[in-house]
Amino acid sequence: MILLEPHNVIIQTTILEKIQKPGSLDVVFVDYDNVRFHLSTPERKTVLLLSMNIRCWDELVQYGALDILRREYGSLLATQVEPEYNVSLEIDLEQVPTDAESREAFVTSLALLKRNALAAPFERGFDTQKQLESAGGQGELMQIHYRDEEAMYIQAAPDRVTVIFSTVFREETDRIFGKVFLQEFVDARRQPSIQNAPQVLYSSRDPPLEIRHVPGLRNSEEIGYVTFVLFPRHFTKSVAPSTISHIQLFRDYLHYHIKCSKAYMHSRMRHRVTEFQKVLNRAKTEVATTERKTASGRTMLSR
Amino acid sequence: MSVLAPIICDNGTGYSKVGFAGNSDPSFVFPTAIATRGSASQSSRAPAVPSKPGHLASKRGVEDLDFFIGDEALANAKTPGYGVHYPIRHGMIDNWDHMERYWEQTIFKYLRAEPEDHYFLLTEPPLNPPENREQTAEIFFESFNIKGLYIAVQAVLALAASWSSNRVTDRTLTGTVIDSGDGVTHVIPCAEGYVIGSAIKHIPIAGRDISQFVLNLMRERGEMAQVPPEDQLRVASKVKENYSYVCQDIVREFRKYDEEPYKFFERYEGEHSVTGRKYGVDVGYERFLAPEIFFNPEIYSSDFLTPLPQIVDDVIQQSPIDVRRGLYKNIVLSGGSTMFQHFGTRLKRDLKQLVDRRLDASVTASGSAQRSSGVEVDVISHKRQRYAVWFGGSLLASLPDFYTSCHTKAQYDEVGPSICRRYQIFGSST
Repeated sequence: MILLEPHNVIIQTTILEKIQKPGSLDVVFVDYDNVRFHLSTPERKTVLLLSMNIRCWDELVQYGALDILRREYGSLLATQVEPEYNVSLEIDLEQVPTDAESREAFVTSLALLKRNALAAPFERGFDTQKQLESAGGQGELMQIHYRDEEAMYIQAAPDRVTVIFSTVFREETDRIFGKVFLQEFVDARRQPSIQNAPQVLYSSRDPPLEIRHVPGLRNSEEIGYVTFVLFPRHFTKSVAPSTISHIQLFRDYLHYHIKCSKAYMHSRMRHRVTEFQKVLNRAKTEVATTERKTASGRTMLSR
Repeated sequence: MSVLAPIICDNGTGYSKVGFAGNSDPSFVFPTAIATRGSASQSSRAPAVPSKPGHLASKRGVEDLDFFIGDEALANAKTPGYGVHYPIRHGMIDNWDHMERYWEQTIFKYLRAEPEDHYFLLTEPPLNPPENREQTAEIFFESFNIKGLYIAVQAVLALAASWSSNRVTDRTLTGTVIDSGDGVTHVIPCAEGYVIGSAIKHIPIAGRDISQFVLNLMRERGEMAQVPPEDQLRVASKVKENYSYVCQDIVREFRKYDEEPYKFFERYEGEHSVTGRKYGVDVGYERFLAPEIFFNPEIYSSDFLTPLPQIVDDVIQQSPIDVRRGLYKNIVLSGGSTMFQHFGTRLKRDLKQLVDRRLDASVTASGSAQRSSGVEVDVISHKRQRYAVWFGGSLLASLPDFYTSCHTKAQYDEVGPSICRRYQIFGSST
């Protein structure tokens, strides 16, 4: 509904379906941020191979994505990665948990593949912050170029973790909507109920100080930077997973809502147009429809 | 970096089929329904959003975001405050507000795709007014900022889907499409990828009517006595889907059933959805009588009496004379209600009879002086018939030509929505 979910619906529904009724399969699909998936049964009908291609894989590996995936999926991680893809999972349908609840959990964890891969730099950032608390200094600036022109920067400091997104608005209208939307975001934080939410800063054009030294930053009108400042209370053991899921989806969420706002504007416009049309129709002068008759009393009809 | 797969979106009156090009089945098939808050039948009784001064967002609520689509919409139909709407009527988009939101959620929630990265292929019914096309283009280019758009006619995609059949040798876009879904059956002639609009005919018999007919037959035999009333239509449609086939000769079929009822009668087992009580019904003559209403409509309705082969023949005879041979040679089935076993064979036989009779008559009329070389009649049925339109779209969108035939965002910005009035036909080898 209003929120986007972190798991991929196609993976979830397809695998649940195949557990019920195994059969051969070969589908390709996508997820946000140029992620491509390929789900197939290359050898047997009961062994599914789920492969993922993600743009920033090399960077993610550098920040420990493989460890995270090994922790989440264990032996499912295939040794032989499918060509053209970055990571493959091998799912033996005969070995999935049998009771409904744990099966559901298992499938959902598979559907979170992209989220888990992208979680690596966050988890590393959170860990670094813990270490820096005593040692002091600045953590490494982790860059994840998850789209062609957009990137995510994560840096740990002794008292906080900063997450910076850059996002590109190709359309003039989108840029304005985005600006209003992010301004709302900053304002909404003043509400007492969400005082504890992470601080959000927005700057268009000028990159924030933390990343100003990074080479190759574009400095144009259409780029915007969103900064989240996460304090240790935002990534305690219990809330860290949901923090990661939400921050990852922030960019998509932003773009989704810009589109939703446009749709809302359009429906208001359509409503207005029909209202105006009604007014115009009322303003039409009525054509007098008197019956015209000939001298002999017959009616004249116009065809 | 390779280009991401184009998205194929086939929004029908009843169901929407959406997925990515290159796959053989749509990723999602769900009802084209949207459940919105309030204003379904009467004004909304939802509580007003409490006013919290000082913040922009709280000045208006988030009602416009509070909606469900597809199966979730139907599941929430009974939730107080929600009303279900069907934004598409008779294949054409009726409510643009709902449709825009429906697409919004299809793309973001279900497909999880960033529309700015994708090309889209949408479908439209034949004779869709160009204004509707412009509206669609406006929504897709201006709301969603998509990369490129192609709007294809459903019948043409159904023709393209038939290329997957191994009986098809030349990839032509000339042929007659028989598209039978849930509500209505269309017979649409296409020449070189263009629909011959003046010759299209509609038949008011489709899936829903067949289920109703099966139900009537089973009620008359007393089989339905055990089935709870609310399940009866569902049982009838299951019987139709699982046991029905088209026979070649009704009289012989009846005799066969009467001689060896144990061999031909089937048993359908069901379970009461609430109490869990088991029940079974015998499935008999309705197995072959159900699809028979296409060929002998008088057994079902008294208002519509023309059999399907006759309609197909009329449609082709109304088309321009130079394409008629092509239309007879390539009759393509599409939609769930053409999935009956031997449906194609029967249609071909009946149609062939009609054509041959006419040829014979003309031979006699000319005093045996002129003899025709005969007309080839062929009906093509294939494995992908159920979602033929979607599959045809998937097939065409994975061709390299697709990208050149699309109108891109840049072209749209240059020309405006009117650019989408015309699309180049592609994919045909001729």
